[in-house]
Amino acid sequence: MAYHSPYKAPPHINAPPDQGFLWNIFQRVDKDRSGVISDSELQQALSNGTWTPFNPVTVRSIISMFDRENKGGVNFNEFAGVWKYITDWQNIFRTYDRDNSGFIDKNELRQALTGFGYRLSDQFYGTLIDKFDRQRKGQVAFDDFIQCCIVLQRLTDVFRRYDTDQDGWIQVSYEQYLSMVFNIV
Amino acid sequence: FTSLLLMNFFSAGNIPPGVNQEAYQWFQTVDTDHSGFINVKELKQALVNSNWSSFNDETCLMMINMFDKTRSGRMDLFGFSALWEFMQRWRALFQHYDRDRSGCISGTELQQALAQMGYNLSPQFSETLVRRFSVPGSRPGIQLDRFIQVCTQLQTMTQVFRERDTAMTGNIRINYEDFLSGVIFSVFNALP
Repeated sequence: MAYHSPYKAPPHINAPPDQGFLWNIFQRVDKDRSGVISDSELQQALSNGTWTPFNPVTVRSIISMFDRENKGGVNFNEFAGVWKYITDWQNIFRTYDRDNSGFIDKNELRQALTGFGYRLSDQFYGTLIDKFDRQRKGQVAFDDFIQCCIVLQRLTDVFRRYDTDQDGWIQVSYEQYLSMVFNIV
Repeated sequence: FTSLLLMNFFSAGNIPPGVNQEAYQWFQTVDTDHSGFINVKELKQALVNSNWSSFNDETCLMMINMFDKTRSGRMDLFGFSALWEFMQRWRALFQHYDRDRSGCISGTELQQALAQMGYNLSPQFSETLVRRFSVPGSRPGIQLDRFIQVCTQLQTMTQVFRERDTAMTGNIRINYEDFLSGVIFSVFNALP
């Protein structure tokens, strides 16, 4: 299926929390008091709603989005963005997890991604669940849902850069194709 | 039941056929919870780069995916033995291409490595890869874990490209969903 409207970033639902509140959280998450929250510190602070560790690949994706100096973590200023990003996703997850199971099944994933503007085939949603479901439940938990959306967003962005006439088709050389893939994976 | 039998068989000190002896010994050490399987956490603890950093999660997940024939997110002894041989080959290649013995692969070194492996790619492409896969906060260069990840993904994605380049022109016309599927199906594997 062709793609129609572009992906939209998650809507900004939450009012920004006040600085004192955020500082409090930052200090609790920054266990070694280095002033920078590392991957493992953030991972320990996050819950995916099950008793399993938060997807480390999702943590890396999120940190790298906000880590401006490529220092391998986020400082307090950057953490505000991380906090907002995660709480926005949390709201989206709750909206689409209609049965409140703590997991998004194929149907819910279709509704969520359709809501974001994606137009994908039924079969493709099955592939997504199959690839991002770390718990092998046939549905995705919060952390895997975020990762799935991040990957889709990156791939869509890179595709759109080449699809200048927006007909859903691109022509690329071997090296262009590899560059597209490696810039996002 | 089968695995119980195998466990008894192993504890008698017999190495099953097809399993490398060193891999067998290493398996006992790496399997810290003595479950008879290696999960991603155990694998991560066991593998180090030349700067003593542990392997990144993505590479560990990728390798478990490759050698976990049961799709359970962990490897049995046979899968682990295959991984061990895979690691030996990549470690040797890494050392071979790390010409200045710096412990990491530079852009120039990667360019030479890829050319010798038969890839026809520009020096800029290697430089981009090195920038993309360098450890945050340290000087540019690819550690062993990323080297394995990059080379394995290059192999996979070249295959995906070739399947679509049936006329072998070096160019493909591809639609949005096919593009997504090609990448997601080949590269992204979620595992516990």
